[in-house]
Parts: sequence; C-alpha cells; structure tokens
Amino acid sequence: MLEVNREMVWKGTKTGLHTTWELGKVVVPTAMLVAVFRASGLLDSITALFAPYMGYLGLSGEAAIVLFSGYFVNLYAAAGSIMALNLTIKEITICSVMLGFCHSLLVELPISQKAGSPLGYIFIIRLACSLAVGWLLGVVLP
Amino acid sequence: MNILWEGFVQGLRGLWTVALIVIPLMIVLEIGERNGLLQKLNRLMARPFKVIGLGEEGAFPVVVAVVFGITYGSGLIINHVRTGKVGPKEARVVGTFIAIAHALIEDTILFWVLGAPILLLVVPRVLLAYIMSYIVYRFSSGLNSSDRDNLQAVD
Repeated sequence: MLEVNREMVWKGTKTGLHTTWELGKVVVPTAMLVAVFRASGLLDSITALFAPYMGYLGLSGEAAIVLFSGYFVNLYAAAGSIMALNLTIKEITICSVMLGFCHSLLVELPISQKAGSPLGYIFIIRLACSLAVGWLLGVVLP
Repeated sequence: MNILWEGFVQGLRGLWTVALIVIPLMIVLEIGERNGLLQKLNRLMARPFKVIGLGEEGAFPVVVAVVFGITYGSGLIINHVRTGKVGPKEARVVGTFIAIAHALIEDTILFWVLGAPILLLVVPRVLLAYIMSYIVYRFSSGLNSSDRDNLQAVD
C-alpha cells in the first residue's frame, strides 16, 4: 500500500509551485516578446524567410520561432511562443514532438559532455532525430 | 503598451493551465518517490536495459533521468564512472539514451497541456532513445568497459 502523509503533499506542492514560478519567468516574457514581434512586423519577416524550409516539416513559417526558442533557449520558451502564436493542433504536435528530442542545447550539450558523451555526436543524434521525426509527422499526420 | 499587456495576459493564462496540472503531478511524484516506486520501476526495466548493455548500476541513472531530468541522471552517471561502477562504454550508452529521453513526465505534460497527444510525445522518444543506444552499444568500438585508460580519461 502507498503511504501518504501531509509532509509529502506539502513538499510536492512546494516543488510544483517552484516549477510554475521557474516556468512563468520564461513563459510570460517569451509570450510578450512574440506579441511585440507580431505587432512590429518582425514575425511576418521571419515567417516569410523560413516558410519554404518549414514546409518540409509540415509547418508554417511562424513555427520557426517555436523551434528556435526550444532548440536554443528551452522548452518553456517554446511553450511561451506556442501560447502567443496561432498554430494549428497539427503544428503544435509536430513542434512538440520535434522539440522533445532536441532542446535547451546550450545547457544540455555541455551536460552530456560532462557525462562522457562527445558534444558533436550528441548534437547530431538529437538534431537528426528531431528533423527525421518532424518530417515523418508532417507526412503522416492528417 | 497594449501589445505587451496582451502578451502578458496570454502568457499568464497559459501558465495557469500548466500550474493546474504541474502542482498535483509533483505531489503524486513525491508520494511515488517516498514509497520507493523508483526502485520498483528500475527492477521492472532490468531486462530491456540488459539488451542495450546496461547492468543495474547503468540502468538506474537512466530511470532517474527519464523521471527527473538530464541533470540528475548525468550527475549519477558521472559519479558512477568516477567510482568505477560503470565503464566508459556503458556511460556512452547511458549518455545517448538520456540525451534523447529525459524529463519525460515534465516535458510531456507541458506540451500535452498545449494540445499535443501524449502517446506521440512519449513513444517516439523512448523508442528512438532505445534504438540509438542499441546502435551505440553494438557498434561503438575503442570504448572497452575494462579499459582503465579510457576510464581515467572520462574522469
């Protein structure tokens, strides 16, 4: 039987609140930044620039913002971008699955290296998985 | 100012949706951890991990990384290599697996809340992590687990 007491519930709540706070520190500013991008017309330029390449992944040009913020910053930033953009569920799904494989590279690649796996090798594996699965989902998803 | 406010509200609304799921989830995880469910999960995974060359010492960092994140799993594996519990080849297999599949609960919940289906978030990641680790286990050469030089090089 599972043992449950008040202290566990309290500790879990604290961890959850802490996670929410850490999340909020990234999600809210990112959503604001993307809103500014949209209002200033920068979003349209980025969209136009990446639209041809994103098409291979079944994504619109805007989704490039989500992928970049996920690859280079972290998943919270990607989540903030998704909240501020008007993507379809298909696009959200493709971005999410792609980013699962490959994210927070600036932080996580050095961690992998410390744990005994070369940086370049882990980078290639993660990016290849991300792009391959993105392409596959773009083809397969209705 | 209007634009910034709009983005702020959008972000906050999204954050609220996530908080409603993350806080109860952390309580469940805490209860699970305190009841030794992590060890049970580890025993359950012993056989599939054996296929990719991981013994008990190598498998535990993977279970920890999958549940709690890459930082925790990497910390464990660094420590295990340092103390000689796992060799460099096993560390490479673990490194490959956890680079692809880590923090599965947190990442999955985050994107599930935003509308992506849970199965698509979990299955491809675990599957590819497993396949890639298997490839590394079978085909990586020059990383013999009994090679003391390599062990020290990693240390």
